[in-house]
Amino acid sequence: MSLVIKNLHARVKDGAPILNGINLEIPKGEVHAIMGPNGSGKSTLSKVLCGHPDYEVTAGSAEMDGQDLFAMSVDERSRAGLFLAFQYPVEVPGVTNANFMRAALKARLPEGEEVDAVSFYKELRGKMKQLGMDPKFTARAVNEGFSGGEKKRNDILQMMMLNPSYAILDETDSGLDVDALRIVSEGVNAMRAPFRSFLVITHYKRLLDYIRPDVVHVLYQGQIVRTAGFEMVDYIEQHGFDFLKTSEE
Amino acid sequence: MDFPQNMSMEEAFALAEAEARLNAALQESKVRFDKAEMPNRLNEDWRFGRPHVYAREWAARFKDGENCFEYVGFDNSDEHITRLTADDEDLRQTEMLMPTIGSDALLALHLKRFGDGHVLYIEEDTKEPICLGYGTRWAASPSTFIMVAPGVKAEVAITYACLEIGYIFATCNIQVAEGAELKVRVNTWGDGADGRCMLITNIQNMGGKVAHLTEYQGLRWVREETVAEIYAPGSETKLFSANKLGENAVLDQHTKQIHHAGGATSDLLYKNVLDGNATATFAGNIYVAPGAHNTDAYQSNRNLMLSEDATVNSLPGLEILADKVRCSHGSASGPMDEEQLFYLLSRGIPTYEAHQLIADGFLNEAIEKFKG
Repeated sequence: MSLVIKNLHARVKDGAPILNGINLEIPKGEVHAIMGPNGSGKSTLSKVLCGHPDYEVTAGSAEMDGQDLFAMSVDERSRAGLFLAFQYPVEVPGVTNANFMRAALKARLPEGEEVDAVSFYKELRGKMKQLGMDPKFTARAVNEGFSGGEKKRNDILQMMMLNPSYAILDETDSGLDVDALRIVSEGVNAMRAPFRSFLVITHYKRLLDYIRPDVVHVLYQGQIVRTAGFEMVDYIEQHGFDFLKTSEE
Repeated sequence: MDFPQNMSMEEAFALAEAEARLNAALQESKVRFDKAEMPNRLNEDWRFGRPHVYAREWAARFKDGENCFEYVGFDNSDEHITRLTADDEDLRQTEMLMPTIGSDALLALHLKRFGDGHVLYIEEDTKEPICLGYGTRWAASPSTFIMVAPGVKAEVAITYACLEIGYIFATCNIQVAEGAELKVRVNTWGDGADGRCMLITNIQNMGGKVAHLTEYQGLRWVREETVAEIYAPGSETKLFSANKLGENAVLDQHTKQIHHAGGATSDLLYKNVLDGNATATFAGNIYVAPGAHNTDAYQSNRNLMLSEDATVNSLPGLEILADKVRCSHGSASGPMDEEQLFYLLSRGIPTYEAHQLIADGFLNEAIEKFKG
């Protein structure tokens, strides 16, 4: 049981190629990190896996527990267990957090069944408390007027409510202050389980100090060019990504 | 004129004067209606859609006969409410003189059926909204008069139901005294067959706070003319509309925010979600009379288009004849934000439900602002 990506090529629709043959396998229960310089394709990989309409898969495959990811629509991928915590969570004016979450949970129930309101609010408020979020946020429009950190926490809240099998965290640490980073990381760590995997995309070691990955990949020019253990994080922290250019020469 | 035997001379003079004023008003309105044209494309206020067709069909339905109400009523007993009667000449006069935005001729058809509706004299705060309802399967012309006394807070909810092929031609006269606060929520709906509605509203704000919200759904054709007249400094007038338009729906909204007095504010936000080949027209005007200095007025029309076949005509306008005013207007129409949609889909919400959530959220801004 794993997320298997083979020879994935993708580009911006009618534009230049960005992913140039990615091979990656993330078994259940593991946390993988992807690091890489700006423009290497990290966010593109997360969006392509989730089916963002701006991108086009030109070759390769991605299977999630044996299911062809690219044969599914965006919402089907989510209901099948894929989750993306956005680098820039989107504002949805007029739609309250509670209604948004309830719609997402209802979509996972058999047709005609409703989300039980009492247990829903109990669970929602419990997880908000865990993330240090004000309960008033349930009645506020999704991410509207939220600070950068509040948006990131809100995405993690959604992840905790939806219980995905595979969660991609796209630069979740950006915009978080030290305390928020710790709280969010604790939330993620609490979700680590043998039946769940994480793909953590980040530039910085500080997030990976909290969410310690099992495997670290380096993405460069649309390809995975290194795969190693946590020592790679320390190396990049000390030396940056210059070694990639050197090896290219 | 016959006077009662026990009437004093002063009372008799007053009665005679009142009757003379009424006759003058009747004469004035007759002249007005004789001059009035049936809607046509050469009339700026009826420029879009198919005015001649709608007007002709409208006139045929309202020319003769009695009002055919499926129901008329209110759902909470309230001493503030009285039923309108055809012999209430003061109110008939009020209605005859109410301003329209291009529909004097059609208002004349409405006046031929004057006498059905409600009168609300609200002299103390209401704990719950006063609810009025009108429904028809053929043709009905209800009139509503709302008068709020100084310093009183009140809420009114009016529902018009155009069932099957029902046409409603409703007028609503609202007078708000100094220091009063009034919220009026008007919901007009049809069951998707061929319901049509005309709603002419006149708000006279004498120094109070008024919020007015219209919502239309499931109707084939809607014409709204709302004229808000601001007569006193310190008045606050807020106009909202929030509508979902489906296949074949035509919504034609015309508004005027008339600032007769300075030092007052008015704010308008009309929002629509259009699907299929729906058409929405908004023509709004802010008029600031000479001397109405320190006016603060705003007007915004926003449209979310779910279909490439939908049409929007948006014509916001300003006419400012005073100094030291702050007036602005805006209009924006566009498709659904792809990033918003992707965000909802990425959480497993199916496309149809995601569209509905985003559309409801878009309209919610107007509804929430109305609620305050």
